[in-house]
Amino acid sequence: MGIDTVRVGRLRGKPLDGQAVKRLVEAGLLWLKTNQQTVNSLNVFPVPDGDTGTNMMLTMTSAWNEIKDSGEKHAGKMVAMVAKGALMGARGNSGVILSQLWRGFARATQDSAIIDAEVFVRGLMEARDTAYKGVVKPVEGTILTVAKDTASAAEAALAEVQDPIEILARSVPAADASVNQTPELLPILKQAGVVDSGGKGLFFILEGMLRYIYGEPLDTPLTTVQPLSSLNFDEAMQEVEEGQDYEVVVDFFPGQHFELQKFYGKLEEMGTSIQVGEGDGMYRMHIHVPLDKRYEPIDYIMGIGTITKIAMENLTAQMDEMDAKTKSSKLELAKVESNQIAVVVVSPGPGLSRIFASLGVAAIVGGGQTMNPSTQEILSAFENLPTEKIIVLPNNKNIILAANQAKEVTVKKVEVVPSKTVPQGLAAMLAHNPDGELAVVTEKMIKALSEVTTGEITVATRSVEIDGVNVKEGEVIALLDGTLVASSKSIEDGVMAFLNKAKAEEHELITLYYGEYLSQSDANRIADVVRGAYKGQEIELQDGGQPHYQFIISVE
Amino acid sequence: MNFVIARDCFARNDITFMKLGIVTDSTCDLPQYLIEQHGLEVVPSILIIEGKEYADGEDISRDEFYKRLPDFKIHSTTAAPSIGEFARRYQKLLDSGCDHVISIHAAGPLTSMVSTAQQAAREFSNRITVIDSLSLSLGLGFQVLAAAESSEDGFEAALGAIESTRRRLRVFAALDTIEYVRRSGRVPGTIAFLGSLLSIKPIIELADGEVKAIHAVRTMKQANARMLTFIRQGGSLERLAILHTGAEARAREFLNQLMNEMSQSLPRDILMVNVTTVIGTHVGPYALGFAAVRV
Repeated sequence: MGIDTVRVGRLRGKPLDGQAVKRLVEAGLLWLKTNQQTVNSLNVFPVPDGDTGTNMMLTMTSAWNEIKDSGEKHAGKMVAMVAKGALMGARGNSGVILSQLWRGFARATQDSAIIDAEVFVRGLMEARDTAYKGVVKPVEGTILTVAKDTASAAEAALAEVQDPIEILARSVPAADASVNQTPELLPILKQAGVVDSGGKGLFFILEGMLRYIYGEPLDTPLTTVQPLSSLNFDEAMQEVEEGQDYEVVVDFFPGQHFELQKFYGKLEEMGTSIQVGEGDGMYRMHIHVPLDKRYEPIDYIMGIGTITKIAMENLTAQMDEMDAKTKSSKLELAKVESNQIAVVVVSPGPGLSRIFASLGVAAIVGGGQTMNPSTQEILSAFENLPTEKIIVLPNNKNIILAANQAKEVTVKKVEVVPSKTVPQGLAAMLAHNPDGELAVVTEKMIKALSEVTTGEITVATRSVEIDGVNVKEGEVIALLDGTLVASSKSIEDGVMAFLNKAKAEEHELITLYYGEYLSQSDANRIADVVRGAYKGQEIELQDGGQPHYQFIISVE
Repeated sequence: MNFVIARDCFARNDITFMKLGIVTDSTCDLPQYLIEQHGLEVVPSILIIEGKEYADGEDISRDEFYKRLPDFKIHSTTAAPSIGEFARRYQKLLDSGCDHVISIHAAGPLTSMVSTAQQAAREFSNRITVIDSLSLSLGLGFQVLAAAESSEDGFEAALGAIESTRRRLRVFAALDTIEYVRRSGRVPGTIAFLGSLLSIKPIIELADGEVKAIHAVRTMKQANARMLTFIRQGGSLERLAILHTGAEARAREFLNQLMNEMSQSLPRDILMVNVTTVIGTHVGPYALGFAAVRV
């Protein structure tokens, strides 16, 4: 997509003031939102977590919310607001880096009422530098590389053109090329057959700005079909519309005359929250419909294809159940005194939250696997605690940066103990001493991280061969400290394969935290199998309640 | 501290050179040969198992106790010996020619030993000085030994030795389970992980007469590693006792580890003690601990 002089662009030749910045930010957000699922599907490991697209989209949304009602004309002031919004809303590693790009861009443009070409390029360069500095060990082949290549292209363009819009137009293709180059720089991407997701997300934001300039559409083309693996009905569940009481999910093989456009149109007449996924020729349709229309989608699909499976749930009843569940499991969090150290943890499941609470945690931020909490959410978890001394346990490799960002923003004394998994977080929690000195306690907790080996058992979201393990979509996979070590046909086999790789026989204690997709009786049965195989070890079974992961396991 | 007040009761000149007797209680965990060597009088503390009273170490052996502990239908509890028990020991020492008696006992905040001794001492018009060791097991035992070893230099020297030992003393224990300490009521309820849903092994420090939870671990190996670190922090040691509750094999293994890693800084004699049932009741079986006095 070079400069097309035939297309007359919006903003072209006009001064880039505060309102123009606002339009560009909105465009970047919209286009990212449109392509969110594409970015989400670029996961290295076939595990259902770390939804980069969603994280970056939410980060941009937070930025947009900061400016959407603003009539600010001063460009620098507008960018500063964007940066503030992005900072507070940053989720996941890519979201945090994105917020740092905005921060750098804001720093370079703060005094400019109008952003000219030179200021624009300086902004991109400062953005790149700030993002690199924000990461302890910058890795090439990521969003950082894309930011770098974009800035370089902009710098080169400055020699030839004097319009910031022209410079953006020349930088976007460079960003695209950079994204496509990421597998050459980061072997794991090549192995997994994907490009870097964060880099791709950044590209979509920039491309969205350019599409706005060219007057191209930015909204979601409704007829997109997602890969089956990235369908997520949980989120749809959280927003049940008034009157749409039933959730209907139908799997089917379409007949010869299947037309997606028509299909969508018909579904829209019936209900809301429509999602359609496809995998190996099989389609999955998801919709929320009112009580009296609950059989309509089924009847309709029956006429256009062959139905293989139908699932129908009463959403209102489910919501009531969920509400009851959250109410009944009120957590008893530790009360901290003003001179004590409080620990804030990110917990992916209600059972794990209860365990963390029983160990003296003062505040819990929900989230983890797919839903990474924002900087703001982590921040507000400890802003209200009656102490200045805080330790944060992110318990997920994708939340560490957001936790660090919360530390930067607050006036409280915050230390982040970089726990990458829940078992690491629990090990660190045991080393906590609320009455100790912050630096000493932090050091002890960091030391404790290495005392456990973590296993994660989940179902592969796509087929891939990685780290020498051949995985087919739908198979059970086992990760050992974040590395894929085995794939198997059943959860039980996956657990045993992990324990074998973790050399559990040389350790004392195996703790199995079972997830929400597993019944207690199934968990008990598998725990008994483990007990039978590991007679020299103590086996403990706990209700973790985490989504997506059938088991989180610690070996120590 | 109690003995500071006690010391004020005496005119310095009167008591500098006199024959000293020493009374302690069975929670000091000193081996019999040291008790005999220093002529110590030891008041047995009382254990109540399923309604029946036992004199610590006399009516029930420690090995037997720890073997049976997990199966007691009613949790065993402890009681201080009677005032008469103390009075009898004081009288015995005074009758045998002692001018003064130092009576040093298990931590006042944790047991009623000190207050019982103080009541007994009232009957002996300032000839008994009751001291709260603010410690337990060899944490108390080492203070007793220090006093005994310097008792020939007089009362002041003995008190000085006790104070000096206490300053250099650290007592730790790694418990195998949190159950016993949780129900003992001897640990502040504010300790967070007392409510743990996970099975954990707390590590506690006994300091200033209080049980302080340092933190918790989940395996014995982690516990041993922590304990080694704590011992190492002390530098060269003047005295060391490895304490356990019916866990001799674990204690031996720990001692070997210790010998391998820091034999240079260890004292020549290291005591290995199956600790008093009175403590065992509150910490449970299979705990490992140590009392160390740095140089």
